[in-house]
Amino acid sequence: MSIDWITVIAQIANFLVLVWLLKRFLYRPILDGIDAREAEIKRRMAEAGEAEKKAQAAEAEFRQQQKQLLSDQDAVVKQALRESEDQRDSLLAEARAKLEQEQQDWHKHLERERQKFTAQLQRTGEETLLELTRKALRDLADESLEEAIVRHVSARLRPIAGELSDAAGDSKEAVATTRNTLPEAAQALLLADVKSLLPGINLRFESDPQQSPGLVLRVGGAQVAWTVDSYTEEFDALLNERMAAGASGRIQPTGT
Amino acid sequence: MQLTPDDIIVFTLAGWEVNATIVNTWIVMALLVGISMLITRNLRPDVPPNRWRTSLEVIVKLIQGQIEEVTRNSARHVMYFAGTLFLFIALSNLMLVVPGFSPPTSSLSTTAALALSVLVAVPVFGIASGGVGHYLKTFIEPSVIMLPFNIIGEFSRGISLAIRLYGNVMSGAVIAAILLTVAPFFFPVVMDMLGLLTGMIQAYIFAILATVYISSATAEPDAPALKKEDKS
Repeated sequence: MSIDWITVIAQIANFLVLVWLLKRFLYRPILDGIDAREAEIKRRMAEAGEAEKKAQAAEAEFRQQQKQLLSDQDAVVKQALRESEDQRDSLLAEARAKLEQEQQDWHKHLERERQKFTAQLQRTGEETLLELTRKALRDLADESLEEAIVRHVSARLRPIAGELSDAAGDSKEAVATTRNTLPEAAQALLLADVKSLLPGINLRFESDPQQSPGLVLRVGGAQVAWTVDSYTEEFDALLNERMAAGASGRIQPTGT
Repeated sequence: MQLTPDDIIVFTLAGWEVNATIVNTWIVMALLVGISMLITRNLRPDVPPNRWRTSLEVIVKLIQGQIEEVTRNSARHVMYFAGTLFLFIALSNLMLVVPGFSPPTSSLSTTAALALSVLVAVPVFGIASGGVGHYLKTFIEPSVIMLPFNIIGEFSRGISLAIRLYGNVMSGAVIAAILLTVAPFFFPVVMDMLGLLTGMIQAYIFAILATVYISSATAEPDAPALKKEDKS
C-alpha cells in the first residue's frame, strides 16, 4: 500500500477536468433545462390563467348581453304589440270614419236624388195641372188659361189698386213676368186692365223660365201674383210624406 | 496478489508510465461525459423529456436535494464539486462488476487525490464565501488554544476521507480475491454484490462528508444572523 504522487497529481487533474466537463455537459444543461421547463410551465400556466380570465370575462359579457337582449326582446315585443294595437285602432277608426263618410255621402246622394225626383215630379205635376186646367177651361168655358189668369190677377188687383199706386211712388213702370211669353190676347187684356186700374203706369212683359207657371205683376216694391205653387204645395207635402214612409220601410194608411 | 492498480502499467507516454488507475479513471470519465453529452445534446424546454433525460434529471435533482438538505442553500458550485465526487466514485465502484476492471477508487492514490481535492476545496469555498479573514478566524474558535487542534482536525479530516474510501473499496476487492481462491464459484458473486452496495454507500458518504465540510466552512457567516432571528 503506497501512494504514487504522480498518480495523485494526475487524478487531481483528472477530477478537476471531470468537474468542469460534468458542469459543462451534465449539471448546467440539466438544471437549466429544468429551470427553462419550469419557466415554460409557469408561462403556460399564466397564459392559461389569463385565457381563463378572458374566457370568464367573455362569458360574463355574453351572459350580460344575452340578458340585455332578452330584456330588449321583451321591450320590442311589447312595443310591437302596442304599435300593432294602435295601428289596428287607427285602421278601425279610419274605416269607421270612412264608412260614416260613405254613409253620409250616400244619404246626401239619396237626398239629392229625392229632391231631384221631387222637383221633377213637381214640375211634371205643375205642367200636367196646367194642361189639365187649360183643357178644362177650353172645353168648359172656351177660354184660354192665360186669359183666365190675367182676369184673376186683374180681379185681385182691383181692390188694392190704390195701395199699389202708392207703393209705385215715382216708378212709372209695372212688370208682368211669366214663364212663357203671354199670348197677345192675354197681353192686350192685361194692358187694358192695368191702364184702367193704374193710370200713368206703363206695363212691360218679361218671361222667366225659372218662374213657376202663372203671372206675377210687380209695381214698385209690391206685387200681385197667381202661380201654381200654392196648388202644388199640398201635392209636395203628400209626396214627401209618402217618400219618407218608403225610405223608412213603412207606409202610413191614408185618411186615418 | 495485486492490491492496487497503480502497479499495473498500461502504457508509457513520453517516459511517463501511465498506470491502470489513470486509464480506468479516463474510462469512467469518458462514460460519464459521453452519456451526459449524448442525453443533453438537444434539450429544448418545449419538448417533453424522454426517459433518459428524465433519469438524468432524477439523479441530478436527487444530488441537488441531498446537498440542499446539508448546506441549506442551493449553491450550484458546491453541487458541481460534491456531485462529481459522488458520480465518479459511484460509477467507479459499480464498474467493480466488470471483469478485469480495477476501480480507480481501489487505489490509495485516487482516494488521496480526492481527499486532497476536498481538503483544498473546503478553504477555497470558505474563502470564496466569507473571505480570508473569516476563514482563518474559524481556526481560533472558540479560542486561540484550539488553533493546533483545528489545524490537525482539518488535515485529519482529509486523511480519514482518503483512508475510509480506499479501505472500504480495497477491502472488498481483497476479500473477493481471497474468497476467489477458497470458493471460486459462489462467494465472489456474493461479495461483488456486497461490493456494489458498499461502493454506493461509500460514494454517498464521501460526497456527503465533503459537502458537510464545505458547508461548515461556508455557512458560518449566516449562523449569528440565524441566532438573532431565533431570538427575535
